[in-house]
Amino acid sequence: MLADIAEFLIEPLRYPFMVRGLLASVMVGTLCAVVGSYVVLRGMAFFGDALAHAILPGIAIAYLLEINLFWGALVMSLVTAVGIGYLSRQGQVKEDTAIGVIFAACLALGVAILSTIQGYSVDLTHILFGNVLGVSETDLWLTAGLGIIVLLAVVLLYKELLVISFDPILAATLRLPLNVLNYLLLVLIALTVVVSLQTVGVALMVAMLVTPAATAYLLTRRLWHMMIIGAVIGTLSSVAGLYLSFYVNVASGAAVVLVCTAFFLLAFLFAPSRGTIWTWLRQKQVKIS
Amino acid sequence: MTPILKVHNLTVRYNGRDALAGVSFSVQPGERVAIVGPNGAGKSTLFRAMVGLIHAQAGSIETNGAEFGYVTQRSAVDWSFPVTVHDVVMMGRISRMGWLRWQRPRDREIAQQCLVQVGMQDYADRQIGELSGGQQQRVFIARALAQEATILLMDEPFTGVDTPSQEAILEILEQMRDQGVTALVSTHDLNLAVERFDRLALLNRQLIAYGPPSQAVTPGTLAAAYGGQALWRGDDYAMVLGDIDCCGEGEHHH
Repeated sequence: MLADIAEFLIEPLRYPFMVRGLLASVMVGTLCAVVGSYVVLRGMAFFGDALAHAILPGIAIAYLLEINLFWGALVMSLVTAVGIGYLSRQGQVKEDTAIGVIFAACLALGVAILSTIQGYSVDLTHILFGNVLGVSETDLWLTAGLGIIVLLAVVLLYKELLVISFDPILAATLRLPLNVLNYLLLVLIALTVVVSLQTVGVALMVAMLVTPAATAYLLTRRLWHMMIIGAVIGTLSSVAGLYLSFYVNVASGAAVVLVCTAFFLLAFLFAPSRGTIWTWLRQKQVKIS
Repeated sequence: MTPILKVHNLTVRYNGRDALAGVSFSVQPGERVAIVGPNGAGKSTLFRAMVGLIHAQAGSIETNGAEFGYVTQRSAVDWSFPVTVHDVVMMGRISRMGWLRWQRPRDREIAQQCLVQVGMQDYADRQIGELSGGQQQRVFIARALAQEATILLMDEPFTGVDTPSQEAILEILEQMRDQGVTALVSTHDLNLAVERFDRLALLNRQLIAYGPPSQAVTPGTLAAAYGGQALWRGDDYAMVLGDIDCCGEGEHHH
């Protein structure tokens, strides 16, 4: 029995592409949940989703120029993040309107460029839904490098980012550079999106940013606990999803997101204090007593 | 004595209209100032402009080196945010800790002392959303103390807070006066402002009156601040204002 389980777990690791995929998944699962904690707490899910879609033209142009798609995505995501930040700060349009305009325009531009390329549909599928099993060694290093930079920034600026998210007025009183820190957070989210793109793809990106962090939110009462628990859930989901896709032969990105969602539903129903079941039980108790 | 705070000709414009027009006043160390006015009078704007969160078109603020501590309006805070009482108080230490630094034992000690001072030390590990309104206000006062702020700005601390909690907050303010902490408190409750504060600022975009409550509140200044809503019946302003001020039976505690 134990040998069977071991065999079940070890079998996929005989393939180098699976090992690379697993490593990438673990990194992405961790990174997304940590940065995603801010996305959840600040209500930036739409921003994250838009950012993921808006990098399509960058990818398309990199494809045309035959350079690593990563660089196209990187440049485009930074431009979009800062662009949305700038446009919504002007105050003529609301933030979600600014996001909507930029997001749709970029997506259209990306599709337009890609549609001029012959045989683009296969690659488009990979871009939209991810292809974690196609992660190359170079991709892995880029993911690790950028991922470490983002995590370092989150750790080193933990108390500052916490304050600007919880109470911007206090941040101003403390003379923290509120704008710089807000933009920095946008850039950190942008980098996370780029790093995670190959694993989950454009369409499912927002799930990695939001779902593990939201699950952790239901289970904790401190931000750094939320980040750690979120990272564990994100990593577990990524690995489980990858095994699922290996054995059941479903698309890896979709499998990862479905496992994440299952965790979320469990927490939503059964989380102590914040879960639905407990709330319901408490209400019942109150009625009885 | 030199004032600890001098606001001179402060003017803030929003969407083409004056939210604050030429507001000037000064505050002595340790004084407790109530800022009273109708909704939209610019009470929050005044505080936000003073700490630099809102850009002022004109005017100056001198604090003589004193630091502002801000007790945020309860409706402006996300109470489901995953932070504990201890975390919130520790936020006040951030500028003392400096960039890229973690809290040291001394910071934790100060945070603990500040919690003791507001009587919230037993709640350090609670998530802030689990506290009552008055307890939340006390935690935010502790945060300002941890910041070593000497001018406390409190935005509507008594809104949605029961009478015992209100008393507890006023008592803490009284203790803090002995430490030389000055407090500016915005409130809707004119009764309270008149009875419990050293000075009263009557605000409606302009500073209509400023001084000891008995001098600042007159039929004329009230009419200027509240327009037709203000009623005046002889000397008994407290009674009458209690009626206007929506809180049902005037709450007197002597």
